[in-house]
Amino acid sequence: MFVSDFRKEFYEVVQSQRVLLFVASDVDALCACKILQALFQCDHVQYTLVPVSGWQELETAFLEHKEQFHYFILINCGANVDLLDILQPDEDTIFFVCDTHRPVNVVNVYNDTQIKLLIKQDDDLEVPAYEDIFRDEEEDEEHSGNDSDGSEPSEKRTRLEEEIVEQTMRRRQRREWEARRRDILFDYEQYEYHGTSSAMVMFELAWMLSKDLNDMLWWAIVGLTDQWVQDKITQMKYVTDVGVLQRHVSRHNHRNEDEENTLSVDCTRISFEYDLRLVLYQHWSLHDSLCNTSYTAARFKLWSVHGQKRLQEFLADMGLPLKQVKQKFQAMDISLKENLREMIEESANKFGMKDMRVQTFSIHFGFKHKFLASDVVFATMSLMESPEKDGSGTDHFIQALDSLSRSNLDKLYHGLELAKKQLRATQQTIASCLCTNLVISQGPFLYCSLMEGTPDVMLFSRPASLSLLSKHLLKSFVCSTKNRRCKLLPLVMAAPLSVEHGTVTVVGIPPETDSSDRKNFFGRAFEKAAESTSSRMLHNHFDLSVIELKAEDRSKFLDALISLLS
Amino acid sequence: MFCDKAMELIRELHRAPEGQLPAFNEDGLRQVLEEMKALYEQNQSDVNEAKSGGRSDLIPTIKFRHCSLLRNRRCTVAYLYDRLLRIRALRWEYGSVLPNALRFHMAAEEMEWFNNYKRSLATYMRSLGGDEGLDITQDMKPPKSLYIEVRCLKDYGEFEVDDGTSVLLKKNSQHFLPRWKCEQLIRQGVLEHILS
Repeated sequence: MFVSDFRKEFYEVVQSQRVLLFVASDVDALCACKILQALFQCDHVQYTLVPVSGWQELETAFLEHKEQFHYFILINCGANVDLLDILQPDEDTIFFVCDTHRPVNVVNVYNDTQIKLLIKQDDDLEVPAYEDIFRDEEEDEEHSGNDSDGSEPSEKRTRLEEEIVEQTMRRRQRREWEARRRDILFDYEQYEYHGTSSAMVMFELAWMLSKDLNDMLWWAIVGLTDQWVQDKITQMKYVTDVGVLQRHVSRHNHRNEDEENTLSVDCTRISFEYDLRLVLYQHWSLHDSLCNTSYTAARFKLWSVHGQKRLQEFLADMGLPLKQVKQKFQAMDISLKENLREMIEESANKFGMKDMRVQTFSIHFGFKHKFLASDVVFATMSLMESPEKDGSGTDHFIQALDSLSRSNLDKLYHGLELAKKQLRATQQTIASCLCTNLVISQGPFLYCSLMEGTPDVMLFSRPASLSLLSKHLLKSFVCSTKNRRCKLLPLVMAAPLSVEHGTVTVVGIPPETDSSDRKNFFGRAFEKAAESTSSRMLHNHFDLSVIELKAEDRSKFLDALISLLS
Repeated sequence: MFCDKAMELIRELHRAPEGQLPAFNEDGLRQVLEEMKALYEQNQSDVNEAKSGGRSDLIPTIKFRHCSLLRNRRCTVAYLYDRLLRIRALRWEYGSVLPNALRFHMAAEEMEWFNNYKRSLATYMRSLGGDEGLDITQDMKPPKSLYIEVRCLKDYGEFEVDDGTSVLLKKNSQHFLPRWKCEQLIRQGVLEHILS
């Protein structure tokens, strides 16, 4: 059931208990976890934090811990499946689920005792009504008990006839109801999408308790920006949420504008920026950032020689000398940096890029540390998904979690370096895929597969990196192809996951349109295709559109998918 | 050379880093005591001879042997005393129950001394703080908060919390627990205190 009063029904319930937090491995979940940890530390709530990266880890961790805890909080996992079925908990266990995955499973919505959803209800959920899906089983049994009463034969016969007629009517109604139920559930669960960021939900809880701080606000901002970077929410929703956060930002940080009572220059301040969408540009050189942002790389078509020339034209149009542009941004001439944003926006308009600037936030603390929200998102994501073999998955999670605190700046900078490597590898892979025509149209969708010998292919075995690569590849492909029909097709991408087990990760991306609602149907499509061909598939990740597949079953799986979607 | 064995004992202790207790070197100690006995007997006979026979040229030898005896005595006493200081530090480090490995390193007398020390410390602690007594081995540094955030560095297993339930300590899980329960494990290196 949905929790309406977060403070009474959630926070005050867990305040006197020991809770277990299951946190999924994405940046939004990390931010929500940090906010919740800060609240719990303030109120001395004893908690245990267990990172989980997939359903299997969640199940094993639950089995290990279920004797010791009664209250479980799941962050960014568990809303889109039947939790009670998968975890098989005891009667008195209570789950609080704060998840962005939609659609929320109907069992989770209508279970009143054990599952409490920390999800805002005005989030266009469209949950089907209770009567349409669940039906009390008692009605049928009552009627079947009436057959045996009968005294006289003639009365009995007519009554028998009547009862037969009634029963056939009831059976027909029942079948109609079930058919309707299947349709409703199919429509409801067909498309996967994402709702409000969990970090924002947690921040609102903190605000309700009047315990919100600038740090928590920054984490909420990073959580929202993560959803935008990974294309999980529509532009409209992003702008609305930015508006919500901006009110909080001005509430916490208004002292900067006040002339008399300004804070010292090295205190933490968050400010709203209408800044360029070039990735990491203040920590890199402008040229590198232009080449490695998918927006500009796709529009300029930087994988071709013609594209490189256009980039040079673009820079010349603004009057930026090449030598300056290739230097580190902080070392660029001040005179060039002064009106940089407006200059770039104007020139970008001339070259067909209308959305060069986005609404975002930046944080300053100390004398020289300034970060945009997207910088932190990329750094943390790279830390969490780095392919270094010396640590297990949970080590990376811990590193990424640490990097979000302001006292661990060395980790954040390390993450920035990893992010630069990742972005460069992404663009190089995209360039090679497009130049060698690896993206082939299979009919109802486009398909691309990364071979094992490709450089940096290990960087793309993790789900978020692979999804980001696929989204950027689709954008670049749409800009590069002349085929009108191909521009509207979705993309399925495969990358090798583990050589010993012979598995590949397969990701499905919805088609790229300007006003897309980011709804992804590949989750159900993959399931059905795997069932029909009995391929060995593992739905390990919390996002249903990312699966692991045995490499041998790949071709029959694809064939099934083609026939399913055409 | 005389006093070499005694120097060996001292060097052994000097080599062991702060806080570690090497095994009780019974052999070495016995050798030193034998050497002392031999020196003493030689001295005894020489003194008698010097007194009765009037041989005053034996006096420097007697003095020399006496100095060696004093040096041996000083070295052995230093050895035993330093070991006792280390054992005392163990009580503050590990609590009342010592790990088995350490117990094998201690001689029987040292064990007895340890038990007596434990008893007097316990009596003292009970005499403080009114009826219940005060555990002064907790909180060696002034604490900043009641509960601390800790991260588990290795798999430890189940760990009991105050209300009887237990927490499973697995690698890389983070917990928010009362300070006094975690201190032991932090000292052993199983948990790591996180300052955010």
